Amino acid sequence: MMADTAASTGSSNPATAKIDVRGVSKRYATDDANTPPVLDDIDLTIGDNEFVTLVGRSGCGKTTLLNIIGGLVEPSHGDISVNGRLVTGPGEGKGMVFQQHALFPWLTALHNVGFGCRNNGVSAAESDRISRQLIELVGLQGFEDKYPTELSGGMQQRVAIARALATDPEILLMDEPFGALDELTRLEMQDELLRVWSAHKKTVVFVTHSISEALVLSDRIILLAARPGRIRREFIVPFPRPRQRTDPQMIALYDEIWRNLA
Amino acid sequence: MRNSRIIGGLTLIFLLVLWQLAVTWGFLKPFQFPPPSRIGGAVVELATKGFPNNQHIWTHVGVTLWRIIQGYVLAITVAIPIGLLIGTVAVLDKLTLPIITFGRSVATLSLLPLVIIWFGTGELTKVLLIAYGCFWAMLSNVIAGVKYVDPVMIRAARTLDTGRLRMFVKVVVPATLPRMFVGARMALGVGFMVIVGAEMIGTIQGLGALIMEARTFYRSDITIVGMLFIGILGFSISTGLSWLETVLLPWNKGLEEVRR
Amino acid sequence: MTGSVRWQDAALGVIGTGSLFVLWELASRLGFVSPNVFPAPTTAIIGTLRTVPLLDILGHVGTSLLRIIWGFALGVAAGTVIGIASGWYRAFGVLTKPVIELLRPIPPLAWIPMAIIWFGLGEPSKVFVIFLGAFFPIVTSAYKGMTGIDPALLRAAQTMGLRGPKLLFRVAVPAAMPDLATGIRIGWGLSFGVLVAAELIAADQGMGFMIMNARQLGQVGVIVFGIILIGVMNLITDYFIGAVIRRRIGRWHAV
Repeated sequence: MMADTAASTGSSNPATAKIDVRGVSKRYATDDANTPPVLDDIDLTIGDNEFVTLVGRSGCGKTTLLNIIGGLVEPSHGDISVNGRLVTGPGEGKGMVFQQHALFPWLTALHNVGFGCRNNGVSAAESDRISRQLIELVGLQGFEDKYPTELSGGMQQRVAIARALATDPEILLMDEPFGALDELTRLEMQDELLRVWSAHKKTVVFVTHSISEALVLSDRIILLAARPGRIRREFIVPFPRPRQRTDPQMIALYDEIWRNLA
Repeated sequence: MRNSRIIGGLTLIFLLVLWQLAVTWGFLKPFQFPPPSRIGGAVVELATKGFPNNQHIWTHVGVTLWRIIQGYVLAITVAIPIGLLIGTVAVLDKLTLPIITFGRSVATLSLLPLVIIWFGTGELTKVLLIAYGCFWAMLSNVIAGVKYVDPVMIRAARTLDTGRLRMFVKVVVPATLPRMFVGARMALGVGFMVIVGAEMIGTIQGLGALIMEARTFYRSDITIVGMLFIGILGFSISTGLSWLETVLLPWNKGLEEVRR
Repeated sequence: MTGSVRWQDAALGVIGTGSLFVLWELASRLGFVSPNVFPAPTTAIIGTLRTVPLLDILGHVGTSLLRIIWGFALGVAAGTVIGIASGWYRAFGVLTKPVIELLRPIPPLAWIPMAIIWFGLGEPSKVFVIFLGAFFPIVTSAYKGMTGIDPALLRAAQTMGLRGPKLLFRVAVPAAMPDLATGIRIGWGLSFGVLVAAELIAADQGMGFMIMNARQLGQVGVIVFGIILIGVMNLITDYFIGAVIRRRIGRWHAV
């Protein structure tokens, strides 16, 4: 029950597949022929509303895989489909949060959140209304008119999450979003994200190199091996949320994942 | 990267050929747009016969260069000690701030008529004008360099029981060097700007004079040669300065931002 | 910084400047330097206002300002458009870069003879040279701003569905603004210097002409007055441009 390598578990049932990664390989043009590919023949199916984390050492290609799913990077081989339709580019219902918040420094928190809406032709009033709601959801009321440089790291990342949610995408892709934050803020943000996620159910693909972060957050943990980048193992995290970080079962699973990483 | 260089070079050659053809076919007047062939001829003429009054191109280049060097070196040797002093003594900095701001705002060439009255139209006038322009660019950078030395560095040196003088020589001055190079580079730009204006009056030697004289003789081809030589001279010196910086300050890589 | 410290700093500045003027005044009055060669500031200013009609002075200032505004506006327009396009459209950049790199080291003043040949002795030749003074710093900083955009910003915008011109105008251009603003400020300073020089060499109106003409008439006081006037005009206009920039981008970018 604790660990399962099979792809036939309930949450990744192809029948309810949201994201389908088929035979994806990636080799960069600057790599010489002898280096193993960043990603080598990855197959992965992610179910609707599933929270999946990609875990692995630096350089294992987890960010590359996320960017490929997001349509920002093209795979060398294989393809990705979302809702059965081939992914051809970024956007199209895939919101993204980056490690460095990547907020537009010339826009206030409110306008950063509303940026995607305004771009989709939503009226200013409506976009402001949505943005205010989301800013409240991430606990930043009162900071609507601050610029990114006037916010702390944790606040910036909250705005970035609200911004990714604003266009109401079906999929949220998060690339080590809390990696640059201090430990306390990080724990706080994990709880915050789960709260937001329970309010707006989404399919989430979350990249991290923190095993405990993956354990607290996700339904399923995908362990990636580096060069060649392959899926080493998958772990189902069966515990109900909110999870206790000190729960002995959690710690046991942590140890098992750690053994597989080493 | 290399590809884009080749394409860039080809673009230039293409433009030159186009220019030449446009003149040959009569779309452009050769006096207004002397074609590359004529400019090439003018280079040869300047190198062999010279212009005006048999002044060879190397005389012009040499004279201009010598004037710039004198003014530049004068400015820098005066600006560095003054800048270090003002930057270190906070009261002095506050006393002089408006003076320095105004000194920088004075258009260097607007001093030309006054300096001519003082020192005539000779060499001294040109050197002093260049020195004036370079001085402020250098001075404000030296002051800023001293003022914004990372306080952590000073604290670190204090914990090592560094004396005041030692601190100044071994910590403050080296930490100011990158900013001094910024100033030196800006000063050079100012110097080249000033020299052209200064040489346009009261002399027949120097590249600025060459450019101006050529026009009165309806030799636009020579004007363009003069412009090219000033450009090449300025470019070579600033390249030399960056090279010097990488040799003298191999540890400095973080100032790319301010430099340009 | 607290209010009183600020006042203290300002007072020190006034004291420093004041003592310099007093020293200059005394040197001239006590005869250390001949007032015919270096008149005291009061003599220069009062003397000029007595000899030169105020309307003439204003006329010179107006002419100069008109020239620089024209040249500078053209320089900003061309520099911004070409710099941004070169940074954004790679193929265009490959074509424009060598030409700009070749012409950039040539000081704007060196163009004066060609400007006269192309545009005659009238206003357009002066505007052209001033234009060059503004154009090169602006075009290079706009290019630098475009090529230095944090790729994460562009990627973030792409995930929100932006592409093409929308990505350019709504993300890339604002992101390049701080660099562009620096270029605009440098460009203003340069075109101001070019303006004065161009007027010294070939003009019959303007602040540069005023002081060159005074030299021929032997009015040292007018020259000193003119130098100060030009400096003050430069200071005021630069401050104004700085204030506009700070207002536009100062809240999100440290200027």
